[in-house]
Amino acid sequence: MRVVLAIAWVELRRFLADRSNLFFVLILPLAMVAVIGWQFGSDRSGAPLSVQGPGGAATQALVEGWEDAELAVTLRDTPELVQEDVSRGSAEVGVLLDPEAEAAYRDGIPMELEIITGSSSEAPAVAQVVRAQAEAVATEAAQVGLLETFGDEAEARAALDDASTLVPPAQLLVQEPEDPVAVAFEGVEQFDSGAVAQLLLFVFLSTLNAAPALIKARRDGVVRRTMAAPVTTAQAMAGLTTGRVVIALVQGAYIMLASSLLFGVRWGSLGVAVVVLLVFGLVAAGVAMVIGVLVDSEGAASGLAVGGGLVLGAVGGSMVPLEFYSDTLRQVAQLTPHAWANDAMAQIQRQGAGIADVWPQLGVLAAMAIGVLVLGSLLLRRSLARAM
Amino acid sequence: MTTPVLQVDALRRSFGPATVVDGVSLRIDPGETVGLLGPNGAGKTTTISMIAGLLRPDGGSVHIQGVDMASDPLAAKRHLGLVPQDLAIYPELSARSNLSFFGRLQGMRGAALRRRVAEVLEVVGLTDRATGASKTFSGGMKRRLNIAIGLLHEPRLLILDEPTVGVDPQSRNAILESVEALSGEGMAVLYTTHYMEEAERLCDRIGIIDAGRVIAEGTRDSLVELTGRTDTVTLAGDGPLEEIEAAVSRIPAVREVHRITGEGRLVMVVQGAPQAISAIVATASGAGMTLRDVEISRPDLESVFLHLTGKALRD
Repeated sequence: MRVVLAIAWVELRRFLADRSNLFFVLILPLAMVAVIGWQFGSDRSGAPLSVQGPGGAATQALVEGWEDAELAVTLRDTPELVQEDVSRGSAEVGVLLDPEAEAAYRDGIPMELEIITGSSSEAPAVAQVVRAQAEAVATEAAQVGLLETFGDEAEARAALDDASTLVPPAQLLVQEPEDPVAVAFEGVEQFDSGAVAQLLLFVFLSTLNAAPALIKARRDGVVRRTMAAPVTTAQAMAGLTTGRVVIALVQGAYIMLASSLLFGVRWGSLGVAVVVLLVFGLVAAGVAMVIGVLVDSEGAASGLAVGGGLVLGAVGGSMVPLEFYSDTLRQVAQLTPHAWANDAMAQIQRQGAGIADVWPQLGVLAAMAIGVLVLGSLLLRRSLARAM
Repeated sequence: MTTPVLQVDALRRSFGPATVVDGVSLRIDPGETVGLLGPNGAGKTTTISMIAGLLRPDGGSVHIQGVDMASDPLAAKRHLGLVPQDLAIYPELSARSNLSFFGRLQGMRGAALRRRVAEVLEVVGLTDRATGASKTFSGGMKRRLNIAIGLLHEPRLLILDEPTVGVDPQSRNAILESVEALSGEGMAVLYTTHYMEEAERLCDRIGIIDAGRVIAEGTRDSLVELTGRTDTVTLAGDGPLEEIEAAVSRIPAVREVHRITGEGRLVMVVQGAPQAISAIVATASGAGMTLRDVEISRPDLESVFLHLTGKALRD
C-alpha cells in the first residue's frame, strides 16, 4: 500500500507542478457552468410567457392583458416554438390560440386557450396569472357584446349586471407538461443541468491529462526504474490511477461546492454523487493509462485526450442533454461512460436518487473501469520491452 | 565457494524473428566490477532489462544473491540497484524528493530514509542542490542524481547502463571515481559501456558482447592476449643507436628491437610496457642516448573487438 501511495503522491506533485493545470481544473469548468446556465435560463425572468396565435383581436387583447399584469410576453410564430421555449425553460408558460378562439372572442362566446405549464417551481404561479387575465379579457369581450346588443342604457346596465353573473368565463384547457423533455427537467434550475454536464466533461478531460504525463515518465525511463524496484505492475498501475482519481475527486468536489455557492446548484445526495464521480474517475484514469502506453508521442496523446474527451462528452450528454437525443443517438451514447454518469447524476440531482437507484449505472461504469484498467496494466507491462 | 551476487545462465530473448540476446552467461562476485562492452545494438540493454526483471527472457535464468528472478522477482529486485541509460528522474521534483520517492519504492521510510538520502546526496556532491527542482540541474548533476537513486538502498548489485553518455569530462571522472569507490566497498557492479577506456579503467573482468552473444570474457590482459599482439615502445633521440640497441635487447621484457637509423629511432616489442618502461629509458640513457620522445603503444580493447569480430567497436 505504501508503494501505491508513494506513486500516487508523486503523480499529484507532478500535476500541481504544472500551474496551467489549475486553470483547466479549477477555473474553466466553473466558467463553463456559468455560461451554459446563462444560455439556458437567461430569458426566464425577462419573458416568462410565450404566446402563439392568429394575431387578431383576441390575441391582441390577451397580450395587452398579460402585459398589464406585468408578464413579459414573447410572441412566437408556431406552436412548436412555444413548446421549445417552455421545454428549455426560457418561458414559464406557453399559450396557444387558434382561429376558433379568435372567432369566439369576436362573438362574445366562450373561447378555448391551450396553456402549457413549464416545469419550474414558478410556472404554476405564472399560469395562474395567465388564466386570471384571460378570464378577465373574455369577460370583458362578452360584456361588450352584450352592450352592443342593447341600445337602452338601462337595459344595457341590466344586461351588464346579467353578464357579470351569467356569462361563463373563458374555458381554459390547461395542458400539463406531458412532453418527456419537460418531465425530465421538472424542478431543474437554471444552472443545475449544465453543472452536472460540465463536471463530468472536465473531470474526464483533466484525468485524461495523465496520458501525456505517463508517456513523459516512460520516455524519461522513470517507469522502467520504478518497475526495476520491488514493485508489481498492479501496484504501479494502482498508484498511477489513485493519483489521478484523487485529482478527479478534488476537482469534482470543488466544482460541486463552488457551483452550489455561486449559482445555487443542487446536487442531491453528495455521498452518492461522489461515488458516481469516483467510479467515473476510475474509467477516465484507465482510459488515460491505455492511451499513455499505446501512444509514444506526448503531443499526439494530448490531442487524442482532448479530442477524444470532447467527443465522448458530446456523445455522452455533456454538451447537449441526453433528453434531447433521438432513440438511436441515445443508444450510441450508452457506449460512453459520460452517458451513464450523466444519467446517474441526473437521477441523484432531480429525483434525490440513492445508491440503490443508480446501481445499474454504477455497475456499467465499474465494468468499464475494470476493463480499461486491466488492459492498461497488460499494456504497461508490454511497453517496458518497447524502445521509445 | 561464495554465492555470486549475479549469476546469469544462457539468457535468450527474441523480438519477432530477430534474436537480440543469444545465450548470455555471466557471473559477478561481491566487490567485483564486470563490464559489458559492445557497440550500440549489441544486446547490452536488453540483457540488462532481463537481469533487472523488466523483460521476461525466452530462455535462461537470472539469480541475484541466489534469488531466482523468475520465481521471486520482488525479492530478487531488493538486492538490485539500476542506473538506466536514460536520466530516470522526475525533473519537476527536487533531488531530495526524487530520492525519497525511489527510496519508498524500496521499502525505506522515516528517519532511516532521510539519513540515507542525506548520505547519497553527499556522496554525489548534490547536498547544496538538494531542494531545487532537478530540471534546473546541469547534465552532469542529473547524471549524478541518476546514480544516487541507484545507490540509495545499498544494493548488493549495481547495474550501470552507460552512465556517462553525454557527460562532461569532469563529471565523467567523478562518476568513474564513485564507481571505483563502490567496488572497493564490496558492491558488485555490472557496467555497460561502449567506451573502452572506461571498461579498461573500472572493470576487473570484461565481457565483449556482439550480436547478442558474449564472444569473449576475461581480464583486460587476457583479452588482449587473444589478439596475439604485444606492447610497442618507441624511443626517439640522438646517440649511438647500435650500442643502445644492444643494451636494451638485454632487458628480459624486450622481445625485439628494430633500429630506424635515418630517423634516430628504436622500435621495441615489449611484454608489459608500463612495467618495463623505466628500465628501458634508463638503459638507453646509460648507453648514451639523448631522448627526444618516448612512445608506448598497447593493443587495447578496440583491437580485441576488431580482432574478434572484424569490425570496429563504434561501428
